[in-house]
Amino acid sequence: MSSEIPIDGDPERDDDMLAAEYALHLLGPADRAAFEQRLAIEGALREMVARWTESFAAFAEDIPSVEAPPAVRARLVSAIAPTKRSTVGQRGLSLWRLIGGAGLAAALALALFVFLPLNSIDTLSPATYIANMQSDDSGFVLLAGYHPDEAALVVKRSAGDIPEGRVLELWLIAADAPAPVSLGTLPDQASVTLTLPEDLRDSVAGATLAITDEPPGGSPTGSPTGTVLAAGLLTDA
Amino acid sequence: MTTTIDIERWINATASGDRAAFLALYDATNAKLFGVCLRVLRDRAEAEEVLQDVFLKIWRNSGLYQANGFSPMTWLITVARNGAIDRLRARKSRGEMVDLVAELPDHGPTPEAAAIASSDNAQMQMCLGQLEPDRADAVRGAYLDGMSYQELAERYTVPLNTMRTWLRRSLLKLKECLTE
Repeated sequence: MSSEIPIDGDPERDDDMLAAEYALHLLGPADRAAFEQRLAIEGALREMVARWTESFAAFAEDIPSVEAPPAVRARLVSAIAPTKRSTVGQRGLSLWRLIGGAGLAAALALALFVFLPLNSIDTLSPATYIANMQSDDSGFVLLAGYHPDEAALVVKRSAGDIPEGRVLELWLIAADAPAPVSLGTLPDQASVTLTLPEDLRDSVAGATLAITDEPPGGSPTGSPTGTVLAAGLLTDA
Repeated sequence: MTTTIDIERWINATASGDRAAFLALYDATNAKLFGVCLRVLRDRAEAEEVLQDVFLKIWRNSGLYQANGFSPMTWLITVARNGAIDRLRARKSRGEMVDLVAELPDHGPTPEAAAIASSDNAQMQMCLGQLEPDRADAVRGAYLDGMSYQELAERYTVPLNTMRTWLRRSLLKLKECLTE
């Protein structure tokens, strides 16, 4: 059995090995980012990660359980209380802060969003980059165009039904980015124009756009959590 | 006695905003997840903060549980482990040291938590047992201590590339054993 294992430097560093290293957090930042880009669109890869994660969770079996102090429960009870949860604004922001940096960043990215009036599309400068986003599985077909003079991204959906109780969220995966960045949730309409945040405008070339379905309000984690419904590379128009 | 089915039911009810189910889930699993946070972070105050974040994530993300294909306890443990590892990495990147012997719990699992934990992971334990002890420890160190290849190489005083080869071979052996 051991004779089947290569004895030189880099034994079978195939996708499954990468998935194991990813689940253990052993990949360096560049490899991790590249893997996550693939993970966003490759279901088989997600299955491999799930399988390894399941196996590694066995390590937790030996860990003794320790009852958490009652204060944690009390704080959770107040965090999920209905009156507080339904108020947006200050309360919403502090909840994001509790959830962590990525969530906060995503919340801020959403806040930066300005939806341009629909009737201004016709007056946009020519698009310099376009992306055909589609998927055979989901039936979604979208076309996105980036208009640099207005920093406007126009997303047109020609096919695809939004799953019941979900919303569409748009992601930009820059060529050198560590992770997808949320461009916000998309209203349920055939054409949406949004203004790209300033810090992302130089990342458009070679970036991938992807659409996932997420719970109402968008991904709670700041990273894609739902199914990738369509994805496409932004290429020269 | 809490079962996997109970946990799955609570997660699904939490997804539809059922606070009582969420708190039942908390009561049944907080000790296991707090144990995981404490084991990774070895700092009680930080582990409490991370545990709270972890349960807020569970509250918000429970609707995604069905989609990811994990068993319910694995999902909860993974959310806790990843939250704790992220915190540990943030601490390491700030260059803070921590007293490694402090804060380790000295008593065993509650009977209820033990029942939850003794799921279908016996095979993994058996396969780990087939690795040489220090190789199994290296995989465990990556999972529970968030150790990088560099840190593992230092711990076992081997060159970085040797460490990579070691660990990948161990993972390959694990895979062979697990798929037998």
